[in-house]
Amino acid sequence: MKSIAANILGSRTDAEDAVQEAMLKVYRGASSFRGGASVSTWLYRILLNTCYDHLRQSRRRANAEAPMPPEEIAAAAPKTGTPDHPLRLSIEKALGQLEARERTAFLLCEVEGFSHREAGEILDVGEGASRALLFRARRHLQKALVASGAFSPAGAP
Amino acid sequence: MKATCADLERALSGGEPELFSAFEAHAHSCTKCAAELAGWRKIADAAPALRKKWDSPELWPAIRQRLAEESQTPAARKPPRTWLRWVPAAAMAALFGIAAAGLLVFRNSGGRDPLVSHWQTTKDPILADTAANEVEAAEKSYVESIEKLSRLAEPKLAAASTPIALNYREKLAVLDSAIADLRASIEQNRYNTHLRRELLTVYREKQKTLQELMKEVKS
Repeated sequence: MKSIAANILGSRTDAEDAVQEAMLKVYRGASSFRGGASVSTWLYRILLNTCYDHLRQSRRRANAEAPMPPEEIAAAAPKTGTPDHPLRLSIEKALGQLEARERTAFLLCEVEGFSHREAGEILDVGEGASRALLFRARRHLQKALVASGAFSPAGAP
Repeated sequence: MKATCADLERALSGGEPELFSAFEAHAHSCTKCAAELAGWRKIADAAPALRKKWDSPELWPAIRQRLAEESQTPAARKPPRTWLRWVPAAAMAALFGIAAAGLLVFRNSGGRDPLVSHWQTTKDPILADTAANEVEAAEKSYVESIEKLSRLAEPKLAAASTPIALNYREKLAVLDSAIADLRASIEQNRYNTHLRRELLTVYREKQKTLQELMKEVKS
């Protein structure tokens, strides 16, 4: 949960705040739970709404926290023993240019490993819509990466 | 099956493996689609590296503390609708562990279960020996039936690798840990009705989780 929050908010501190707030909302808002969804998709939906609320608030704040510094980003890299991917930073930057639902679909399916059915539940859309959102997210990412020079127009960096 | 440039979106949206294979074949003879596919794969390869992990030793204690604070306020003490009482437990147990599960258990006031009914009819908070024996006998048979369900779910749980299945696995581990803790406390004081109610509620949560999991794996 912290991971997706950090990818949306760009800061570990903000991500932890969002997770904390989401958990309190879960506690307070049990009556809003719809039995049709699983608990985890419901939790993620609350977390994502919280993250986007945070994002809106921080954009409004003049003294918004600085984005995650490079050393912090590096420290937050996956601790899987595998080397960092050279495109990671470029994709993280490009993700910020995506429309919120496209970005969320990408983070849920491609980064967090949710199926389209699960992502659809979280996003409150059907499986097909989740596929379409992911497709558009990837197309837009590709364009942004080409524009930033991370990809060559032919698709090879 | 044959694919063309027009099939790009359908092929890359997933869900149609045959079309994807046909599109791959088409890309061998189409530079534009080959570039699309190459870019597509590069993003797919890089995406898992965006997953972030870091230790937050202060996060869960802070949440527990705020939950504890909230549970002390009159508004927070107001119980949710009966059929939704399990929801906070499910959420907390999956994420916070024993302490949060305990909070819910404290809020829960039982149900129609015969074991609970038995406890509810016991006015004295301290059970007499006979009553404790009866409760333990009923509890034993209840626990056995849950363990049976648990054994049925175990292979399905081990085989599943979706994030939801992993969440269920984590939640069950937390519930088992809560059960072990409560049982240890009950061993110290077998007449404590509050602890026994807590234990029963955690068992019921486990039963519901297992049933939910079986349903999830089937679908």
